[in-house]
Amino acid sequence: MRISRYFRAATAALALLSAGPLSAQEKESIRLGAILSTTGGLASLGLAERDGVLLAQKVLNARGGIKGHSIEIVVEDDSSNPDAAMSKINTLIHSENVKAVIGPTGIAQTVAVGALTQREEIPLLAFTGMGPAVEASRTCVLHLTPAQGLNARALLSYVRDNGGKTVGVLHDSGYGQVIWGVMKDLGEEFGVTFTAVEKFELSAADATAQAAKVKASEPDMVIVLSSNATGFRNLRQVGLTQPIVSVHGTALYDVVRAMGDASDNVVYAEFLIAEDPLPNQTEFVAEFQKEYGRLPKHFEAAGWDAVMAVAAALEKTGPEPAGGALCEALRGPYPGAFGKYDFSAPDMGGLTLEAFSYSLLTKGAFSRLPYHAK
Amino acid sequence: MSRLSLWIVLSVLAICALPFVLERHSTELMIFAAFYAIAGLGVGLLLGQCGIVNLAQAFFYGIGAYASAYGTVVLGWTPALGMLVGVGVAGLIALAIGWPILKLTGFFLALATLGIGIIGTILFFEWDWLTGGTLGIGGLPPLSIAGFAFDTPDRFYFLAWGVALGLLWLAHNLTNGRPGLAMRAVRDAAPAVEGLGVDIHGLRIKVFVICAMLGALAGSLFAHYVSYVSVESFTVQRSIVFLLIPVIAGPRVVWGVVPGALFVTLVPEWLTGFGDIHQMLFGLVLVVVVTLLPEGLTGLPARLGRRVTR
Repeated sequence: MRISRYFRAATAALALLSAGPLSAQEKESIRLGAILSTTGGLASLGLAERDGVLLAQKVLNARGGIKGHSIEIVVEDDSSNPDAAMSKINTLIHSENVKAVIGPTGIAQTVAVGALTQREEIPLLAFTGMGPAVEASRTCVLHLTPAQGLNARALLSYVRDNGGKTVGVLHDSGYGQVIWGVMKDLGEEFGVTFTAVEKFELSAADATAQAAKVKASEPDMVIVLSSNATGFRNLRQVGLTQPIVSVHGTALYDVVRAMGDASDNVVYAEFLIAEDPLPNQTEFVAEFQKEYGRLPKHFEAAGWDAVMAVAAALEKTGPEPAGGALCEALRGPYPGAFGKYDFSAPDMGGLTLEAFSYSLLTKGAFSRLPYHAK
Repeated sequence: MSRLSLWIVLSVLAICALPFVLERHSTELMIFAAFYAIAGLGVGLLLGQCGIVNLAQAFFYGIGAYASAYGTVVLGWTPALGMLVGVGVAGLIALAIGWPILKLTGFFLALATLGIGIIGTILFFEWDWLTGGTLGIGGLPPLSIAGFAFDTPDRFYFLAWGVALGLLWLAHNLTNGRPGLAMRAVRDAAPAVEGLGVDIHGLRIKVFVICAMLGALAGSLFAHYVSYVSVESFTVQRSIVFLLIPVIAGPRVVWGVVPGALFVTLVPEWLTGFGDIHQMLFGLVLVVVVTLLPEGLTGLPARLGRRVTR
């Protein structure tokens, strides 16, 4: 009886030894969370980000994961609502035990969720620029898109360097209002006079009256600050022929399609012109096209970058980083497809004017402009 | 002890025990349910006792939240002062608005409250010097009483549900006393009550002000809990959720706002497992509940009882 027990134990030990080290698939996966607005008002952005996030997960795992551990991303939808985002972040942190969180999509959600992730020292890689003052002290909340002040400067740089002295501004009451809040104080610095500033409601499907006022002020160029096609369409409908300059938030294929005939003579200060990508973007664009059969824009790139940046940091810390170690590993330069980040910069993103690419939309097609902002 | 009292006592005991058995995420959801129960109580009093549909509650919820946010973050007030100011301002605004609009009745009054809700949302967007606009206001301190900070979900759970249950008890007493009798009489036979000398307009204004103050209190608690407020939390859509609370639960039972608040908080969360169609599914569930239970969730035990004895 005793001999039999020893024999069984020895056999089991031999079997274990002969199994050797665990393969990549057998090692426990590293779990990341993602809070994205895949439904609700921000869905067009959130869905694009989700495509980039899931592509990065697939590519990383195909390449063998991180130190043999595969990546598993738990994606939650916040319905474009900060209250829902708060509920989701608790699930991800306390039930799913994620190592880092990708997202959220919106500013309000980021500020709400950031309070908790900062306290727990879990990295939050948000698809927003730095917002209210409270975010300046959140060193574990990293920003993958530029702060609104930088967006405003990128637009005014183009206007100034391309002969624009007078500018009309048409903006919505949400995203556009935030950028205008910064831009209004920069006119003198850039030698630009705002001839007319008109606002329309975020949910408005028509802003013809405001567009007509902007046209009547006879500006050299018009800046549109919005997240949808309404302003562009109405400006062309009232007969505006001057160039329109706009932000990356509307340099999206869906928005361009919604513009219809107005998708012409529009200049964008943006980040990814997939028709003519920069060297640091070619790999992502190729992978994206292979996976989805279409070209990506910057929000897809930001989703990809967020996962890849976390993966790079996990390579440094190992799959089980101690409290705050992953934040610390992330805080440094990271060359992304969206742009060259420096997560140790005061705005936790480090994007500069040089990160902007400028494209010209001609009859619905993007082409790279030779202009670079300084 | 009546059957209703037994249910209430059992529910209170269950609520007290929940944090000890729930996961952290579920505790968080229960805290939100408490905020919704407080705001929904106001809407429920108006709907169930006075027959008034209020679609402006998110406006008052926002006033409470922004008063706390602006007061504590920008002006450096204590959380208690911010909360007090929010509730007071909401009451005064409700008085000023209620005076003219509560002369209306039925659909016209509902539309008037909807208009107020829409105007409120626009003001929260436009007055960015006060509300922070799209960026909102962040960095609110946690609530504290006599040095005891409600800075963990478990602590806040007991605070939020303590306040909610206390207010429910007060509302229960109110509706079971002479004011409640007057309210129901106004709801069911206004001309007859007017003939008896009851000031119908004054009574409706009082309930509207109470409703607004409850909304502001819930908003203030919410703001301190999440430590951040933005306009997305105070849209007309949120007012509709507040209205759903008594509608789903059965508006004539004051305590019904508890199952109503739990329903609007927990069911959408459970449905998110179905992916991007979860909002459609929630709509479908609502239609099913309202169709099958016209007297609300609180009518379910009686309905089941009738079926068993049949």
